[in-house]
Amino acid sequence: MPESSDRPFPPGDYPVVVVGSGPGGLQASYYLRHLGIDHAVISADSSAGGMFRRFPFFQRLLSWTKPYGPVPRDDRFYEWYDWNSLLAEEPASKAIMPGLMDGTSSFPSRPEMELNLATFAERTGLSVRYDCSWEQTRRDGERFVLQTSDGEYRGQVVIFAVGIAEPYKPDTPGFEHVAHYVDTRSPESYAGKRLFIVGKENSGFELATGLLQWAQRIVLCSPRPAKLSVNTHSLLGVRARYIQPVEDQILGGGVFMLNASINRIDRLGNGFRIMCSRSEGGAELAIDADEVIAATGFVCPLRDLADIGVSMFGRSQLPSMTNHWESATAPGVYFAGTIGQGVSGMKKYGLPANSGAVHGARYNARTLVYHVAQKHFNVELPKPMVEPSRLVDTLLEEATRAPELWNQKSYLARSFLLNPSTGILDEGVVPLADFVDTEGPAAVAIAVETDDTGDIHPAVYVREERRPAVETLLSSQAMHDFRTAEHRAQLSSLLSGVTAGAVK
Amino acid sequence: MTSALGRVPLFEGVSEESMERLVAVTGEMEFEPGQFVVLQGQVGTGLYVIVGGSVRVVRGTEEIARLGPNDFFGELSVIDQMPRNASVQAIEPTRCLALASWDLLDLLESDAKLSLNLIRGLAARVRGQGELHHH
Amino acid sequence: MALSPQELVDTLAGLSLFADLSRPQLEQVAHKMTEESYPVGQRILRQGFTGTGFYVILDGEVAVRIDGDERARLQKGDFFGEMSILLGEPPVADVVTTRQLHVLHLGGPELEGFLRDHPPIMYRMLKTVAMRLRNASQLRS
Repeated sequence: MPESSDRPFPPGDYPVVVVGSGPGGLQASYYLRHLGIDHAVISADSSAGGMFRRFPFFQRLLSWTKPYGPVPRDDRFYEWYDWNSLLAEEPASKAIMPGLMDGTSSFPSRPEMELNLATFAERTGLSVRYDCSWEQTRRDGERFVLQTSDGEYRGQVVIFAVGIAEPYKPDTPGFEHVAHYVDTRSPESYAGKRLFIVGKENSGFELATGLLQWAQRIVLCSPRPAKLSVNTHSLLGVRARYIQPVEDQILGGGVFMLNASINRIDRLGNGFRIMCSRSEGGAELAIDADEVIAATGFVCPLRDLADIGVSMFGRSQLPSMTNHWESATAPGVYFAGTIGQGVSGMKKYGLPANSGAVHGARYNARTLVYHVAQKHFNVELPKPMVEPSRLVDTLLEEATRAPELWNQKSYLARSFLLNPSTGILDEGVVPLADFVDTEGPAAVAIAVETDDTGDIHPAVYVREERRPAVETLLSSQAMHDFRTAEHRAQLSSLLSGVTAGAVK
Repeated sequence: MTSALGRVPLFEGVSEESMERLVAVTGEMEFEPGQFVVLQGQVGTGLYVIVGGSVRVVRGTEEIARLGPNDFFGELSVIDQMPRNASVQAIEPTRCLALASWDLLDLLESDAKLSLNLIRGLAARVRGQGELHHH
Repeated sequence: MALSPQELVDTLAGLSLFADLSRPQLEQVAHKMTEESYPVGQRILRQGFTGTGFYVILDGEVAVRIDGDERARLQKGDFFGEMSILLGEPPVADVVTTRQLHVLHLGGPELEGFLRDHPPIMYRMLKTVAMRLRNASQLRS
């Protein structure tokens, strides 16, 4: 049977090539197809799901989907209560996750999440060429050429949604002998073993929690103490459900938290001897273990993209990007999925958006595709007109009910152009940092933001023609409903000046 | 003197231990109207806190500020060991607490709150200058 | 330039703000701050906007502009954002990237605790702010 009739997207020339079949790749492909942009989707995996085909090993996801939320599942604001479903335009493909959960938890298990993504691909009829591995990259005139295990793919635009799941181990002597987090086996195989885990971030704690009842002894080792989210009062740091090992350590129950740097790991019989130096005082220690797992993190598998000019930064080797997730140094190369966390946005008070997780990345992917469509393929996106008398109510409605704004606070905004001759035009969802810093036509944008006290409130940005935007914060509201008389009055007076009285 | 020091915003929130050390090393000085407390171009030997009276700050021939009770001055030369960048002259009978450079630097090393207060005070002055190029 | 954890610590060791820190202390700093990358033409701090942050430049360049007038350029080793945090006031200037920028970022609310934990950094910052004051006053005389 000829291979090409079995598998979609044979090697060749496409306007856009998408690499990856996790949440980022699937979401990008959906909207490319929605806008009628021809593209190929290739993936080294053999099925949909990305990282969720393997991780997390022992735990449910950290992102919620509430089967019985405050709004019904077909309400657009349900997306604020469902952080795991991908976005779709047709009702049958929206909010797939809650229907697949067994009801025992608001957090899906890994298999449930994998099924969620596979069901999305199936129900929306997305195609992916699986078992097609991207290996090398080069330019050819205006095209990017991806060398894959199946042959060459040429694209005007390439979207890499390849995740941040390539294992990273330090090059300290001996690490070549030890397993990485990704190599973790079934828990029973660690029964009675002395376990040494390198790293005290979420992956290390996830393993320690999952193997707590199996291992004879667990040592968690890294130079710095664990940063716990219950101490940082945020989602940064090790999440609450993983800190059983901390309690065990405090109670003296066979878990040891060691603040030390590892100098060397030697094989010792069937096990290992870890030579380390304590962070306080520098005393040298030798610790023996039956199993060592390096929970030392991941990098972004960008292969040879540096050779075509993609610059990278940080310990995860993320690409440096523009506010539209395009490589800052190699135009035409875009990134979707969790890699989007490398675009910081406004990050007021150091608070990041949710670009690293599905509930943020899905909106980024949609916004990215709309941007690619306009910039590279001259697709005209509709900009519905808004009656001047309706502008204030529309803005406050969006601040209260737009899931894009709630999931990506201070990162994505709803924008309206204020052109005196063409009227007020709805520009849709835009990256906020781009709106406030790009000189452009007169416009107003609204976003939802949190300040350093945890107060949630709308933020209005008014941009006059060829001037940078000016910020005005509106008040918070106990039930997060900003459609009050007070808000209307505040916003009306703010906008009446800019719209020359057109707005009431 | 403890109460006088305690009222000064610069020393707000410093530890009791630091306060005791401050009291031990701080001297009191009195100035007649017209008398110079410090002179522009002189090597600086310490920081002054006004507890009573008022002074004018003069750079060249231009009066750039007036200071009163609880204001401090002279800290810049303590930190960067460069000559005084302005003169300070008493307008009326004025009483100051004087803290020698080496004692202040000693205290800064051990008391984080004092350092923080001092940076804030300097930052406010930079902003106040208006000619600033940092924020 | 994606720095390995060791390379990042090596880079910090060469910056004057961190000049008095031991290697373990430098590792602490690297652990507490976040590496970020910003493209050209992006504002990092915005005149009159809310939201505070402390930034140390690892690579690249920014321009400091007040009402559109450029007042200064900052490069590797320079820091910015602390004035607004210390004074509790919005930035009085825009800080705009003039080259691809690689920074370490600490959220505004965390700066005070960070400085208390690392007195040598606070002392270096004190000296830098004092120098700005001296320069500012010299410009006026």
